[in-house]
Amino acid sequence: ERAAAGPTVHIHNGILQARSLNYDDPPGLMEKTDFLLKDWINIYHSASGRDSTKAFSMFVHQMNVHGILKTDDLITRFFRLSTQLCVEVVCRNLAETVTPTVIRAKCYYTLDAFVRLIALLVKHSGDSNNTTTKIHLLNKVLGIVAGCLLQDHETRMTEFQQLPYHRIFIMLFLELCAPEPVLEAINFQVLTAYCHTYHILRPSKAAGFCYAWLELISHRVFIGRMLAVTPQQKGWAMYAQLLIDLFKYLAPFLRNAELAKPVTMLYKGTLRVLLVLLHDFPEFLCDYHYGFCDVIPPNCIQMRNLILSAFPRNMRLPDPFTPNLKVDMLQEISYAPRVLTNFAALITPSQFKKDLDSYLKARAPVTFLSELRSNLQVSNEPGMRYNIPLMNALVMYVGTQAIAYIRSKGLTPNMSTIAHSAHMDIFQNLTVDLDTEGRYLFLNAVANQLRYPNSHTHYFSCTLLYLFAEANTEAIQEQITRVLLERLIVNRPHPWGLLITFIELIKNPTYKFWNHEFVHCAPEIEKLFESVARSCMVQKTG
Amino acid sequence: GVAPLGAVPLQKEHQQQFQMMESAYYHMPHPSDSERTRTYLPRNPIHTPPYYIQQPLPHSDTLEFYQRLATETLFFVFYYMEGTKAQYLAAKALKKQSWRFHTKYMMWFQRHEEPKIINEEYEQGTYIYFDYEKWGQRKKEGFTFEYKYLEDRDLN
Repeated sequence: ERAAAGPTVHIHNGILQARSLNYDDPPGLMEKTDFLLKDWINIYHSASGRDSTKAFSMFVHQMNVHGILKTDDLITRFFRLSTQLCVEVVCRNLAETVTPTVIRAKCYYTLDAFVRLIALLVKHSGDSNNTTTKIHLLNKVLGIVAGCLLQDHETRMTEFQQLPYHRIFIMLFLELCAPEPVLEAINFQVLTAYCHTYHILRPSKAAGFCYAWLELISHRVFIGRMLAVTPQQKGWAMYAQLLIDLFKYLAPFLRNAELAKPVTMLYKGTLRVLLVLLHDFPEFLCDYHYGFCDVIPPNCIQMRNLILSAFPRNMRLPDPFTPNLKVDMLQEISYAPRVLTNFAALITPSQFKKDLDSYLKARAPVTFLSELRSNLQVSNEPGMRYNIPLMNALVMYVGTQAIAYIRSKGLTPNMSTIAHSAHMDIFQNLTVDLDTEGRYLFLNAVANQLRYPNSHTHYFSCTLLYLFAEANTEAIQEQITRVLLERLIVNRPHPWGLLITFIELIKNPTYKFWNHEFVHCAPEIEKLFESVARSCMVQKTG
Repeated sequence: GVAPLGAVPLQKEHQQQFQMMESAYYHMPHPSDSERTRTYLPRNPIHTPPYYIQQPLPHSDTLEFYQRLATETLFFVFYYMEGTKAQYLAAKALKKQSWRFHTKYMMWFQRHEEPKIINEEYEQGTYIYFDYEKWGQRKKEGFTFEYKYLEDRDLN
């Protein structure tokens, strides 16, 4: 972890304290904590304790008598020891061979009481208007619980239990989302604290916690607060980061396509979350599609289609199968989509970016083109030859620059205005000069922009068709077809721009699509094309 | 192919991650782990034959649906599903059927006839009430329903 600053400093302090092997607790503190915690659990479950502030103030008095609230350090230790005690109780219970419901009820009995204690202490720390104290305490507690989790994960290894941490996090979150003015005033900081904590506990850091983690980040209340309730979309970037954490973790397991059961389970859960987001928050997927596609392995076609199929809810997409649909006439294709990733900054090293910009300006020197490949290639290992994020950034940057350039001349992008420019030089060079692997990644980077009607979709659709038409070998045309087709033969949803591009390719006689050998290379491929064509051209006879 | 770039063996780091994930797979989170404790009706997932209904009926979380339920069902929901939306809907449906909740006795009352006395503080007459201990409706004559015990919050 980077050096912590700002609000996260308290989370990191909490983690450090929980993780330091040399606890050096003052003598008797463990016993005191154990006594106080048990006392509180009894109070919480007694008839009047649950909602009574009186019982709570009496308990705080008790804590004071035992000197727990004297220093920050002692408070921290109290929370750490309490967390560890709760976890121990849970692990002991889970080892028993009684009915699962009974075991779980016992675990919740302890955990829920502890959670309420935290919530009350956070709510009542400092004056009622003093939000800083409350948030500091919350950050600290979250840090301590996260630190205990990481420590526990390391020491127990395969015996690690997700349950206690899962329940502490979610129940505390629900408590802090209660409709009370004190809590509403700090809600955004609560969300921030939780996002930081979840980011710290991302699956690549605590793989044994990954299922609970996915449950936490996809909990309906959490998604609701992050993406809907918080005004001005202030939670969107943080939520996007958590999804990127998930995709990054899955990537090495998914790219080999041999899914073991545990991976399949997490993958299915991920698809479900994406479906929920596609249905309820399509604009969120639209805005962050670039960052997501950057980390999803190229072979995860359906997963990427879910993201690329998202379109703003106020938009009506024309049916791609409409005969003689004139995409050029759609008003939407003059508007650029919002891309919330600074992809220009991803073009590194800075010298390469400088050379790129000067080439786009002067269309010289030609050596820039011949050196392009070596700038993108990072190794000679098959399957890992290219810097994929750099490829994606390059494609996106050159494309957006091309649109701006064409517009600056008072024209609009179409099949003829996109040709014969520095931008198209780069694309054509990549098409011809890269090997199969590189070209596959390049064409995927282009296809990732084929989405709902907007200026990028239109430009890259034209680009792909142009590259097909101008290709000097069949291999290139076959690969373009492959990239489009493999995104269409998976189950729905299919991005609009992808359908539009493919239909144009097989319908427009200028591409002589059906004359190509690869269309007829094998009977099953031929059948596949025929069936796709049938569904695409169903209204042609009319 | 499903791995167009070819298979790449997992690095050591990823193998370790897989091991931890695999052990976690054998104690997955339970649906109840992220819910408030259900004292009387804990979740108890079990495989039921596919020809049995697997999901509740659509719109069964609406007031209209609850109004079609038997009074006894509503009482059951009210007493055994505390702190849920179901309890809230059951209470609303009961109120619509002129049942009133007595906050001291924690029972629901319904006028059996027009009260003999009505004043600012109470009303008195014959009532039907639901006894949750005996689990049945009972009649009480000459009962005084003090208004200070009337639960009259607007449920919205």
